[in-house]
Amino acid sequence: MTSGSFPWPLLGLAISSGLILLLQDWRQTIPCLLISAVCQAWFLAEQQFLKPDISFGFWGFSTVVLVKFLAGVAVSTILTITALTFSKEYGLEDLDEFGLSELRRAARAAQRQAVPRPFQPGEYALTFWAMVLALFASLTLPRIYPIAPSPRIDFAWYWLGLTGLFTIATTSNMLKVGMGLLLCTGSIDLLYTAVASGSQASGVSVGAVAMLSLVMILLALVVAYLSGLLFGRLKTLELNELYKR
Amino acid sequence: MLYLSLVLFPIAMSASCFALRKYARLVVVAGVGVILAEIALILQVPLDEPVRFLGVTLSLNALSRLFLLIFLGIGGILFLVTWYIPHGENFVAVSLLILMMSITILLLQDPFLISLLLIWAGIVAVLAIVDLPVRAGVLVHTRLLASALKYLILMVIAGVLIYLGFVLAEVYRPGEVAGRLPLVRFILALLIGGFALRLALIPFHTWLPDLVEQVQPLVSALIIAIINTTGFLVLILSFQRLPVLLADNPNGTLLLRTGAMITMVLAGLMSLGAGSMRQTLSYLLIYNSGMIFYGLATTSVVGLTGALFEMVNQTVAVALIFVSLAMLEQPDGRTPGMQRSDLLRRWPVAGMGFLGGMLLLLGMPPFSGFASKQFLYHAAWQHGWIECALLLLATLFAGLALIRVAYTRLLGPQEEIPIPTPEMHGEIDLDRPVTQRLKPEPHVPAVLTVLLFLACLVVGLYPQPLVVLINNTIQDLTFVNL
Repeated sequence: MTSGSFPWPLLGLAISSGLILLLQDWRQTIPCLLISAVCQAWFLAEQQFLKPDISFGFWGFSTVVLVKFLAGVAVSTILTITALTFSKEYGLEDLDEFGLSELRRAARAAQRQAVPRPFQPGEYALTFWAMVLALFASLTLPRIYPIAPSPRIDFAWYWLGLTGLFTIATTSNMLKVGMGLLLCTGSIDLLYTAVASGSQASGVSVGAVAMLSLVMILLALVVAYLSGLLFGRLKTLELNELYKR
Repeated sequence: MLYLSLVLFPIAMSASCFALRKYARLVVVAGVGVILAEIALILQVPLDEPVRFLGVTLSLNALSRLFLLIFLGIGGILFLVTWYIPHGENFVAVSLLILMMSITILLLQDPFLISLLLIWAGIVAVLAIVDLPVRAGVLVHTRLLASALKYLILMVIAGVLIYLGFVLAEVYRPGEVAGRLPLVRFILALLIGGFALRLALIPFHTWLPDLVEQVQPLVSALIIAIINTTGFLVLILSFQRLPVLLADNPNGTLLLRTGAMITMVLAGLMSLGAGSMRQTLSYLLIYNSGMIFYGLATTSVVGLTGALFEMVNQTVAVALIFVSLAMLEQPDGRTPGMQRSDLLRRWPVAGMGFLGGMLLLLGMPPFSGFASKQFLYHAAWQHGWIECALLLLATLFAGLALIRVAYTRLLGPQEEIPIPTPEMHGEIDLDRPVTQRLKPEPHVPAVLTVLLFLACLVVGLYPQPLVVLINNTIQDLTFVNL
C-alpha cells in the first residue's frame, strides 16, 4: 500500500469486524463477515510484497489474494445457508414419543422468548466497551510491539484477533461464536501472509494459505452443523439454554 | 507412493464409511481392514529417508513409527469394540480421518501445516462428540452440545496460538530490540499457552472433565489417546525446531516445571473431591499430562525418556480404561438408574481393566507406568528434593482418589443377589416370577481388554527395548542437555 493513499480496505475491514462484535442479528453480522473477508483480500492485494501472478483484464492480483477471497465467500455462504434453513426438521421419524414431546416443549419455550422487544441501548453496552478496548489495544500494540512489516498490517491483525476474541467472550449466540473463531483465524492468516512475504522470511506458501482457508471452511461447516443441532434441539441459538435444562 | 497411500487411503475409506454409515458392522469391518493395511504400509516405509512431495518434506523416524503403530493398534481395538458396544454412526469415519491427520502430522516437517492439521483434528473430533448411534431414537443431550462447543472453541484458540508462535518464529532473528519483551519469550509463551490448552494443563483444563463426563467412552479415548499424544509429539518437534526457546533459558524451564507441578498437585487434589468415576478419571488424566509435561520441561535425557515412555503408557492406558469403562456402563440386566458398588464382581474383566489402567497411570508396579514414573522422579530429584516431593505428593493424592473410587464403585459386596423363594402349595412354574438373568461380559471386548492389560504388564516387566529406542531418538534432539 502506498503510504499516502487513504486506506479504504483497512477502514472497511475495521468497521465490518467491529460491527460483527457489536451487532446481534445474523442478517447483519453475516454480510459484515463477507465484507470483512473481501476487504482483507483487497487490503492484501494492495500490499507490495504480494506480486500479481493472475491477470483479470487490466487488473492483476496474486493467487494468495484469490484464495482468501474465495474462502471468505465460501464461509459466508455456508453460514447464510445455515441461517436460512434453521426452520427445517431433520430425523424426526427416528425419535420416540419422549423426544418428540421434548421438542414440542422447547418450541413453546422458544416461541415465548421470541417476542419482539423494543431497542434497548443497554444490551449493547458490553459489546460497545469491548470494541472500544479492542480499538485502544489495536492502536497501541503496533507501537509497543510491532511484528509485521508495516503499522497498518499490525493494526489489521491485532484488530481482527481482538474483535474475534471479544466476540467469543461476549456473545451467547452460536453463530456469533463461529464468526469470532473465523475472525481469529483470519487474523493469523493475515499475519502469516505479511510475515512470510518479508525479505528475510521463507516466502508465502500457497499450500499453507490454502490449508488455512480450508480450516476456515471446515470451521464454518462445523459451526453450521452445531447450530443446526442446537436449533433442532432447543429451537433457539442462545447458548444459555444449553445450561438451563 | 507409500507416503501418498498412507495419507490418502484413510481419507477415501473414511468417505466410504460415511456413505455406508447405516450398515454399522460393515463399516467396522472396513475400518479394521484400513487399520491392517496402514500398519502394513508403515512397516514398508524406510526410516529416516526424507521425501519431497509438492514442496513438502515427509520423513519417518523410529519413534514416530512406534507411535503410529500404537495409534493404529488402538484405533483397531476401538473399532472392534464398537461392534459390540454401539457408538456414533460416524465413529469409524471420523476416527479414520483423525488417524490420517495424526499420520500426516508425524510424517511432516512443516510447522505451519502441522499446527493447521492439529486444528483440523480438533474440528473433526467435534463431529464424533455429537454423534449418536444409528437409529438411536433420542435427542442429542444439551450438555453434550455444550461440551462439543467448548472443545471446539478451545482447540481453535489453541491452534491459533500455536500457529502465531510459529509465524513469529519465522521473523525471529538473534539479537533483541531493547525495551520490549524479547520475541523468543513471546513465542515460548504463545506455544506453551496453545499446548497447555490442547493438553488440558491447569488452568486450561476445563474442557477435559466435561468431555470425559459427557461423551461416549470410546470417543474420549480417541481424543485423549490419539490427538493429545500427537499434540505432545508436536510440542517436542517445536522445541526441536526452535531450541533457542529452552536453551540457556533457566527461568523459562523453571516456569514450565512449576506449571507442570501445579497441574499435577491441583489435579490430584481435585480428583479427591470428584463426584463420579468419570470425573476422577478425568483429573487423573490431567495429573498424568502434568507428569509428561514436567518430563519435557526438564530438558534432560532422563526427564525426556520418562516423558516419552509415559506418553506410550498413557496412550495404552487410556484405551484400556475407556474400553473397560464402556463395558462397565453397559446395562447389565439389573434395575437400571442405580449407582452400583460391585462393578468388579459384576464385570470382572472390565473392572480389572479399569483398575489396571488407573494403576498404570499412577505408576504402580508391575505395570509399565512404574518404569516411566521412575525416570520422571529421577529427573525431578536432579532439580532438588522439593520438586521430587511435589511429584510424589501429587501421586499420593491421585492414589487416594483411586482408592476412593475402587472402594465406592468397584470392590463392594455383590448387590441384587437373586434369593430363591420356597415353592408355595399348588404353585407351578408359570406362577413364579421370572428369574433375573444377568448379561454376561461381551467376549470380544473382554479379550481385547485382557490383551491391553497383558501388554502393559509385559512392557512393565521388560521395558528395556522401549527405553533403548527412546534413548536413541533423544540423542538427536538439539534442545536436550546431554
